[in-house]
Amino acid sequence: MKDFLHAFCRHKGGVAGVIVIIAVAGLALAANWIFPHDPWEIVNAPFMPPMTDDTLLGTDTLGRDIGAGIAYGARLTLLLAAVSTAVSILFGVSVGAISGFYGGRVDQAVVGFIELFQTIPSFFLAVVLVAILTPSMTTVIFAIAVVSWPPLARLVRAEFMSLKNREFVQAAMLAGQSNARIILTQILPNSLSPVIVSGSLMVASAILLESALSFLGLGDPNAMTWGYIIGASRSVLRDAWWMSVFPGVAILLTVLSLNLIGEALNDALNPKLARKRTT
Amino acid sequence: MKKIGKFLASRLFKSVLVLLMIALFNFFLVRAAPGDPAEILAGQSGAVDAEFIAKLRTEFGLDRPMIVQLGQYLKNVATFDLGYSYRQQAPVTSLIAEHLPATLLLTITAFIFAVAAGVSLGTQAALRVGKWGDTVITTFSMLAYATPLFWVGLMLVLLFSVKLEWLPAFGYQTVGAQFTGLAHVMDVARHLLLPALTLGMFYMAVYARLTRASILEVSQLDFVKTARAKGLSERTVITRHVLRNALLPVITYAGIQAGGLIGGSLLVETVFAWPGIGRLAFDALLQRDYSVLLGVFFIASLIVVIVNLVTDILYTVVDPRIELK
Amino acid sequence: MKRILSRVAALTLSLGALSVGGVALAEAPTPQYGGVLSAILNPEPPNLNVALQQVAVTQLVAGKVYESLLTYSFDLKPQPSLAKSWEVSPDQLTYTFHLQPNVSWHDGKPFSADDVVFTYTKVLANTPRTRTLMANVESVTAPDPQTVVFRLKQPYSAFLHAFDIGGGAILPKHLYDVDTPITQNPHNNAPVGTGPFKFKHWERGSYIELVKNPAYWKEGRPYLDGITYRVIPDAASRRLALEQGAVQQAWLQDIEPIDQQRLAKLPHIGETKKGYEYWSTMLWIELNGGREPFSDKRFRQALMYGLNRDFIAEKIMYGTGTVATGPIHHNTRFYDANVKRYPYDPKKAIALLDEMGLKPDKDGVRARVGLIPSPYGEMSRRTAEYIKQNLGKIGVQVTIENADVGGWTTRMGNWDFDMAYNGVFQYGDPAIGVSRTYVSSNIKKGLPFTNTSQYSNPKVDELFNAAAQAPTEEERQKLYTEVQQILVEDVPLLWIADTNYSVFHNKRLHNVVTTGLGVVDTQSDAWLSKE
Repeated sequence: MKDFLHAFCRHKGGVAGVIVIIAVAGLALAANWIFPHDPWEIVNAPFMPPMTDDTLLGTDTLGRDIGAGIAYGARLTLLLAAVSTAVSILFGVSVGAISGFYGGRVDQAVVGFIELFQTIPSFFLAVVLVAILTPSMTTVIFAIAVVSWPPLARLVRAEFMSLKNREFVQAAMLAGQSNARIILTQILPNSLSPVIVSGSLMVASAILLESALSFLGLGDPNAMTWGYIIGASRSVLRDAWWMSVFPGVAILLTVLSLNLIGEALNDALNPKLARKRTT
Repeated sequence: MKKIGKFLASRLFKSVLVLLMIALFNFFLVRAAPGDPAEILAGQSGAVDAEFIAKLRTEFGLDRPMIVQLGQYLKNVATFDLGYSYRQQAPVTSLIAEHLPATLLLTITAFIFAVAAGVSLGTQAALRVGKWGDTVITTFSMLAYATPLFWVGLMLVLLFSVKLEWLPAFGYQTVGAQFTGLAHVMDVARHLLLPALTLGMFYMAVYARLTRASILEVSQLDFVKTARAKGLSERTVITRHVLRNALLPVITYAGIQAGGLIGGSLLVETVFAWPGIGRLAFDALLQRDYSVLLGVFFIASLIVVIVNLVTDILYTVVDPRIELK
Repeated sequence: MKRILSRVAALTLSLGALSVGGVALAEAPTPQYGGVLSAILNPEPPNLNVALQQVAVTQLVAGKVYESLLTYSFDLKPQPSLAKSWEVSPDQLTYTFHLQPNVSWHDGKPFSADDVVFTYTKVLANTPRTRTLMANVESVTAPDPQTVVFRLKQPYSAFLHAFDIGGGAILPKHLYDVDTPITQNPHNNAPVGTGPFKFKHWERGSYIELVKNPAYWKEGRPYLDGITYRVIPDAASRRLALEQGAVQQAWLQDIEPIDQQRLAKLPHIGETKKGYEYWSTMLWIELNGGREPFSDKRFRQALMYGLNRDFIAEKIMYGTGTVATGPIHHNTRFYDANVKRYPYDPKKAIALLDEMGLKPDKDGVRARVGLIPSPYGEMSRRTAEYIKQNLGKIGVQVTIENADVGGWTTRMGNWDFDMAYNGVFQYGDPAIGVSRTYVSSNIKKGLPFTNTSQYSNPKVDELFNAAAQAPTEEERQKLYTEVQQILVEDVPLLWIADTNYSVFHNKRLHNVVTTGLGVVDTQSDAWLSKE
């Protein structure tokens, strides 16, 4: 653990990323205290530029506070991204594990399936899914999960295939342990590090996906997420630059931080692989 | 030669399988949707009654058994008949055909920009590894990689159209202008600049990172070390020996990215009111014109499948070491 | 701030007055021939067969190519169009129309009464829009090629008010009396009509080109050489195109409400609020009266008091609407302003909820309801968001439910909603466009745009029926006044705003709007002065 922390801290970007994420999470948690009113609440005149009266980041077309929107938006955006990533990790790991462990027909089918999903333009797929199943928190989470599991499944499958033949697994098999037990107690713990690394990158891409869906008007209509604020600002781009600039910066910083954390984790967890990293 | 034929056949088979799956997916998804197309069309007439809806339903074959509808649907898709747009009263295929050129213009321009700028930035970064220039390029690509596509578009509009008033913010050409010849080309080019930049930015970042990593990796290989030992300058080593080998993964990636570019064009075309299939899909989305939305989805997938097929073939041509399976 | 606002309002008012004066002055110069009008078209219409599709954009384009028997003045009096004149029998059961002489279709075939009979009996009798009118009609006949006679089953005083282009476009019999189903007739996208402009070309996603019909029956018309409708999906581009003169005409919400006041101040841009009288769209929130607590009148009144409709009209609609007073738009015939008012009064709203026994729970919530915004446009979305906030203050917690076009109409039709945003045309006469929302005979489950609030009041039914058959305007006015008073007291739904749209035009364009159908009318009198 100490080694890990040491290795992680050598990656300056990763440390900066952690700090930013902590700040964003703090903002999300403290939203109630900083902005006691609802983000939908009209608190000021419409179209107040930043740093006027008592609004820091300005107000939108109806007079709602952009700062409040970003703080509460952080909550929803992070939550949506985390839940959808959790769902797709659960699915991706299970599928990858079964496919890699059992091999054969199952594996062929799974690989075919993964290839199919990797061929379909994933953003298009997400849009089609949410649009047709009616936009809501659940459908957005579902759509993000559906398009983000394949790469992870592929990764886990490869891990399992190589670990399967290692001595400690073979030993467990000879000892007569059940397959489920071997998968859960022997192989899975040993293949967690790439999962953790992809996890942080998946949260980042989930945020991007969610914001793009909300931007197109495919978010939950009761949820003020960052993408929603930018989407609502589009028609008044010329009149209120602050409506689109600030939430965009919030997305950028969060996603950037998560990517940096992912890299740092990768370097810390797989020192050997660090050099081979591609995107 | 025989081997290549067999390889092609298996790839083709796989591609057709993928398309079949997408067609099936489309068919069932639309039937899982709330409301049916007849009702949507009827709703737009301003008033409606059951009789009218029933009439439309018969007219569009929505009252036949599911399996018959499916068979018909697959047959239609196979002959590029992607259905009829209830709203626009035009065949979906012809609507897509009308909008496709704009999308191809946009995505291909963006792609060329992304590869050209990405590869050269990546190479420059690799040449200056650890130095100031590398840091700037790496940071820039990190940033571009983390920025939402649609937001980049809005910011470019804010800067170049609203603030500086250099470039048009929206559309494909100047409304009402009767340009011909070169003037027309220039007009379209001015409109193309921002959307292509927006769409290309993200992939430029991807290619820059990829090229940099790939060059650094290849330059550790033995043959490069030999070249270096021969006393060639680092620049010559990189351009003559490293780059050629380092670009192979870039080509593979290009195939994979086709899907991303097409998906991105949905956002970019929406932001810039670019009259391509992405915009068509977005409008269809607002109107819930299912046949158009799914038709565009199918065609987008088809394009991706074709691009993948082509890159696969290209790859075997470029790199004869690849074993044909 | 408030003072500044009211001063701005006063300023725009006086500017408005000026530009109206400007139009009056500009009519003095003699019209010039020539020039092609470029007009905004947004969104692109689905097709151009206006008998099948009444979306505004279809009417806009098709209104130049096709014609109907009548058109309507600003005060909604019937005016000649394809019908030169008409008579009504004393028993109000026979309407005889005399057609214009020497009218021909754009393909050269002569136009005759047969076309009218065919269109009404074979096409319009089946369209959702006109079948209600045709339900009153016993027969349509053509005693000679210049005359059409409608025989009614019972008197219907609004009869002459349903002959607009959207409800009564005449199609060529020789092209539509065929085996192909009408929805797939190729002429739906390449219309052949009798109007002042002929269809030439439709470049999907880009423009629709109409050219002058030299053989138009009205002597010396049209002035314009043609009209090109340009599809411009983006709001900012539309404003820019109008500002820079690339297009000369915009209507409805072509220009974002927020930009309208600014645009109207430009020296070369004219604005008129006329030309929407016939539709007089009303925006409202439909309430599901079949559900608790909406079935309680006090709850509905509480919602009305709890809504700050002034804010919606001023800050969301930016003056493209005024607060509605009741079920009839102030531009529609028989409107009466003398009804109960519902100013924004949250205290009164809360008192009513208390009286009903709807006490706040531990979260301060008295009732939880859903609201479906209309799927069209951002304004409805913003309004829904505002209503959610607004009603939250009186303890009514609103959840916005997303529904697409299909979901929206289906759920309203099947009474599967609490509250739903809706916008409905009034078609010039309460008997056509208003009563359908409130009479109990129109409670039809499964059908949207009927009495989906399920409001049922025998007195209201009786008044609407009597008014539809009353022979004189005075009698009708009396009945409609009473019905308005009852409805406003009962609040079957929440009337938000009477729309009050503008037409924006380049000042080179004259006679933009000459009738109560505005830019949808033929525009055969419109002309462009030289640059």
